[in-house]
Amino acid sequence: MSNKLMAWIDERLPVSNFVKNHLSQYYAPKNFNFFYYFGALAIFIFVLQIVTGIFLTINYKPDAAQAFASVEYIMRDVEWGWLIRYMHSTGASFFFVVIYLHMFRAMLYGSYKNPRELLWLFGMLIFVLLMAEAFMGYLLPWGQMSYWGAQVIISLFGAIPYVGESLALWIRGDFVISDATLNRFFAFHVIALPLLLFALIYLHLAALHTNGSNNPDGIEIKKNKDENGIPRDGIPFHPYYTVKDIFGLSVFLLIFAFVLFFMPELGGYFLEKDNFVPANPLKTPEHIVPVWYFTPFYAILRAIPDKVGGVLAMGAAIFVLFILPWIDRCSVKSIRYRGMSYKVLLTLFVISFFGLGYIGMNPATPVLTWIGRLFTLIYFGFFVALYFTSANEKTKEVPDRVTMHD
Amino acid sequence: MIRLFTGIAFILISSLSFAASGSIPLKPVLIDLNNKSSLQRGAQIYVNNCLGCHTLKYQRYVKFIDHLSLSKETIENNLIFTTGKNGEPTKIGSLILNSVNPDSAKEAFGVMPPDLTLIARSRGSEWLYTFLTSFYKDETRPLGVNNALYANVGMPHVLSWMEGLKTPVNLEKDQYEYVVKGAMTDKEYKKSITDLVNFLAYVSEPAQLDRYRIGFWVILFLSIFSFIAFLLKIEYWKDVK
Repeated sequence: MSNKLMAWIDERLPVSNFVKNHLSQYYAPKNFNFFYYFGALAIFIFVLQIVTGIFLTINYKPDAAQAFASVEYIMRDVEWGWLIRYMHSTGASFFFVVIYLHMFRAMLYGSYKNPRELLWLFGMLIFVLLMAEAFMGYLLPWGQMSYWGAQVIISLFGAIPYVGESLALWIRGDFVISDATLNRFFAFHVIALPLLLFALIYLHLAALHTNGSNNPDGIEIKKNKDENGIPRDGIPFHPYYTVKDIFGLSVFLLIFAFVLFFMPELGGYFLEKDNFVPANPLKTPEHIVPVWYFTPFYAILRAIPDKVGGVLAMGAAIFVLFILPWIDRCSVKSIRYRGMSYKVLLTLFVISFFGLGYIGMNPATPVLTWIGRLFTLIYFGFFVALYFTSANEKTKEVPDRVTMHD
Repeated sequence: MIRLFTGIAFILISSLSFAASGSIPLKPVLIDLNNKSSLQRGAQIYVNNCLGCHTLKYQRYVKFIDHLSLSKETIENNLIFTTGKNGEPTKIGSLILNSVNPDSAKEAFGVMPPDLTLIARSRGSEWLYTFLTSFYKDETRPLGVNNALYANVGMPHVLSWMEGLKTPVNLEKDQYEYVVKGAMTDKEYKKSITDLVNFLAYVSEPAQLDRYRIGFWVILFLSIFSFIAFLLKIEYWKDVK
């Protein structure tokens, strides 16, 4: 019965073929490690955000006079509303945790290199759109930090010469953040950006499945196939990685649930204290701090004494990641076989990223600003130094077959 | 490198001093949302002393039935003192509002007394406890009192009938002597404030009553599930060499 039904469907839609090509006979390297959970986890969170988001929009009111109260209504009077809302707010932060680790993985093992440059570019576009999505979503609860955070960030566009002020006006739809801004941000947050994200995630996966995954050894497994044309170091994605990812997901959910149920504010990092005060255009909070996942870039912005320069530096900090595949000229992919120079540079880069994140969360004292400048220098220095050292890096010999470490 | 280290040391020191800044250090308060009688006493203090000026406009009375273990009648007879437009008693499903006129409130206090539903989330329980125990006599202020935590606050010491009125011996060291006796001893007053802050902590996020309890079972389930998923992974991966 089920075979007949499957045959009937397959004649009309190649479902079985799709499953074969992308799951049961899609060969992934067998040596994936810890860092390879985060792609699947990112997709999981994307779905989680869409589903919880739909439930939130059922009761949320995108209206400056009602938005704050409608969120509290969800938290108190909607059955399980608090759970849906905390899933969404905790999910937003975890999305960035997962994406940052996912990007770091690519830097560890050279996953952005030939032939996966487009894969990396789609990923970077997703990252930028995700920042826009998170930024606009953060305005919706209409708390003090929602309001003033948006005010600060949008005013940055005002720094662009000649067109800046009119551009900021165009984004806000008003001279200040207002009901008009809230309405358009709602439209972007719930439909425009999620649709774009969906399309880009599709392209990201299509590009991934064209050449297959990289792996911690940075070896192309398709270069070494057996007599049946199956990569010797490959295993079918299903069931091996579906089962492994279920384990990864369950551990992830364990951590996620711990935060959600026991510390949904995470000490003010996931939900800021000031955001429990309704937006007040006449009262500026003492410290306006973006949510933690923006703080490294915010610190770069503040490191530059000039407003236009700061905006340019922040933009450059993101843009430079796009061209990473062409900055890194080393032919060896994985850090396991790369030279000491790359290991040192990447370590410094990670330290500067964390350092900038810390500085971005705190009020700009003169000392912190100077440390921020030092870290900004290291951040950009990483890319400059990489460009010059990577071409003649002293690499180790890359083995023919992948290695298993557990 | 030395600059980096001194920088890091400075960050640590400055963050420490930052925590202690503000006018006086915050005092610890024990929040126990399972203590229903404390929450009930807190609700009583709130409607009798605070609600006249400060609404709880996101919270509904009816929630007290489940959350504070109170009967509908008890709430209607003891906690609801407001009326609707035509003088009918406020319904139990209503939000907790009052009838302050914003204009006259501004004239009297300089500001509209804020809604306090979320005050325990935006300020924190320790801040509230410290604030409510730090009023002291200060004739230079229009209302005759000042606050050691929130200098020149516009709020009068509403609870002075309970606490009495004290004058500072040493503000920084939190030493006072009472010049007017209140209805309560110092210990009784602090206990009442603990109840009130406990109530405000509850009102700020009633979901706390559910999330800790449910969270425990979710974590337990996921722990077992992770373990089984791990065994499943090991089983499937046996043949991968």
